[in-house]
Amino acid sequence: MSAASASLRLWQQRLFSTPAQTAITLGIAVCVIWLLTPFTRWALVNATWSGETRADCAPGGACWVFIRARFGQFMYGFYPVAERWRPNLFGLVSLAAVAPLFVLTGRARLRLGIAALLLLPPLGVWLIGGGYGLAAVETRAWGGLMLTLFIAIYAGLIAVPLGILLALGRQSRLPLIRTLAVVFIEFWRGVPIIAVIFLASLLLPLVMPAGVGVDRLARAVIGLGLVIAAYMAEAVRGGLQALPKGQAEAAAALGLGYWKTTGLITLPQALRISLPAMTNEFIALVKNTTLVLVVSILDLLGIAQSSLADPAWVGMNMEAYLFAGTIYWLICFALSRWSRSLEAGGPKGH
Amino acid sequence: MLRRLFYDARIRDLFWQVAISASLVGLTVFFIRNASQNMVNAGIASGFDFLWRSAGIDVPFTLTGYTSSDNIWALFWAGVTNTLLVSLISMLLATLLGFLIGLARLSSHWLLSAIAAAYVEFVRNIPLLFFVLFWYFGVIAALPQPRDSLNLFSAVFLNNRGLTVPAATSGAPFQWALAAILLAFAAQWLVSRWAARRKAETGADTPALAIGLVLCALVPVAALVWAARSTGWDMPQAGRFNLRGGFVIIPEFVALLAALVTYTAGFVAEIVRGGIGAVAKGQREAAASLGLRPGQILRFVVIPQAMRVMIPPMTSQYLNVLKNSSFGAAIAYPDVVSLFMGSALNDTGQAIEIIAMTLAVYLFFGLIVSALMNWYNARMALVTR
Repeated sequence: MSAASASLRLWQQRLFSTPAQTAITLGIAVCVIWLLTPFTRWALVNATWSGETRADCAPGGACWVFIRARFGQFMYGFYPVAERWRPNLFGLVSLAAVAPLFVLTGRARLRLGIAALLLLPPLGVWLIGGGYGLAAVETRAWGGLMLTLFIAIYAGLIAVPLGILLALGRQSRLPLIRTLAVVFIEFWRGVPIIAVIFLASLLLPLVMPAGVGVDRLARAVIGLGLVIAAYMAEAVRGGLQALPKGQAEAAAALGLGYWKTTGLITLPQALRISLPAMTNEFIALVKNTTLVLVVSILDLLGIAQSSLADPAWVGMNMEAYLFAGTIYWLICFALSRWSRSLEAGGPKGH
Repeated sequence: MLRRLFYDARIRDLFWQVAISASLVGLTVFFIRNASQNMVNAGIASGFDFLWRSAGIDVPFTLTGYTSSDNIWALFWAGVTNTLLVSLISMLLATLLGFLIGLARLSSHWLLSAIAAAYVEFVRNIPLLFFVLFWYFGVIAALPQPRDSLNLFSAVFLNNRGLTVPAATSGAPFQWALAAILLAFAAQWLVSRWAARRKAETGADTPALAIGLVLCALVPVAALVWAARSTGWDMPQAGRFNLRGGFVIIPEFVALLAALVTYTAGFVAEIVRGGIGAVAKGQREAAASLGLRPGQILRFVVIPQAMRVMIPPMTSQYLNVLKNSSFGAAIAYPDVVSLFMGSALNDTGQAIEIIAMTLAVYLFFGLIVSALMNWYNARMALVTR
């Protein structure tokens, strides 16, 4: 029996082995065809791919010309075209710095990791925002996918260290610190993120001394960072609790103090266990960056939304949403696959 | 002496706690002083007197009978009820849809399971705000004008201004029907307790199914039919350009509900799959070897055990729905965030009071949801001695 007929048999068994199964298969097939045919006709068959303006687009099909014309905005927002090399350069430098982390091992990896963590964030703010020799670009000109990634990464840079501290605080033997950590975590986890972004954008300027302004974008990043830190803390706590008690006890028996036990023994192992959970929180963060829309910061979804108001391109709702949605889906799907592969790899023995 | 103090664990613990609380208090005082200074400079009042001022804000959709001449406190409650309304209905529908998708995912039919898996992967990797905007600006805005409404039996009309349904002219019969239904449920509860005890003591069976059907299905249906017949109906009429009469459910509500339900159902489906998957295979096999039928295995063996695994993550999904209902602010659904934190805050400028009240709403109802689910969890938990 050939391989082809064997696979045919397998599919026959999967789809048509009993009358009931056959009925379900046919029913689903009809529904899928009924839904997909008009969609395919709209998105591919009748779609217009090349041209310059709305007038080039055939009716009854998607107008991908719109995406092509707006591509730069979807990626960079209203960032000046002549300066777009700066975020590009920062992206390249970050990739070049982060890629070796997956190859290197041991001390070299640790050193590179710490150097990247200390140097890249300020470099990014300088390159994208300007000043000190570069033309300044105000944050209200930033936008698009660039801004989505910027907010996700910088809010993550607040959330991860703060989350680790909170998780350690929640496990602390000092009652006051434990209480503070619990209150902080449960408060931020209990309120909607949209309210937190409003809160950050309204209250941060209010509680600063008169004359000290906090940038609009920075407020949103801080607000998001604080909430996600509370969720990160719970992810890290899972790892800390999964660790056998003997690890900390052995470290104490060797005469290590609290910070050495934590930094050298328990935390590295706990982080490895909780990395999949932390990645899931990061996915949630990427999805929640869209909420900056409510304080008129135009990330990828915000740019897509605001592009609908252009009188030269009326009725491009579906095209804009489909494009933005696909990008979000690709980012989050890749991250969730990575998280799942980490989970399958499992923590390396202790 | 100093050296001994420095190495005394209790003294060190005390020192750290005092140091941290002192710096927190210092920071708080710093913030409060800045805030009060800034508020004086900007001429913003403080305190809760603003709640009794007239709001003058129109709300397109309210259950509390709020009108724009009411005060801000009434506006707050109109927002809170709208938040609760969309949250509760979303929780219910998302649970139903999620269970269906989760069971489809577990189905032995390959195609059904693959489609359920594709749905879950699709929904979980896209921001909720995307769905909210998509349903509102993509789907509902693309629906026909009111005069070309899609209609169901000329009673329910769907168009780009929302969903128009027949409205009852009098609510009293429905209140009687609700009372009858609650009574029937209470009776069912008593009967099932009595039947279980009789079964345990004497082994005698009770016609539980028949009694249950009468009490839980026949009584509610009869009560609702009676109520529907004894009240008058204001039917929507298709006019030349617009619909007349009926009760209009605003498009913002429809879009937010659709987004919350389709999004949350993806997460619920995964919880259902995980819960049922967590029941050991030997449990089903043992039940089957005792002669239980497949339906009985599901009802008495699999679901009770799966529920224990599912309740905690379902609790956090319900809390998420409550919090995520605030996404309605992006499409101006009149919930507590958009009415109170948006409109009222713009009018009065009293950010601190308004933000505190809004956050308190979510924390309070979040606590209620957790408390109810914990109570349910405790009831379902394995009784060990």
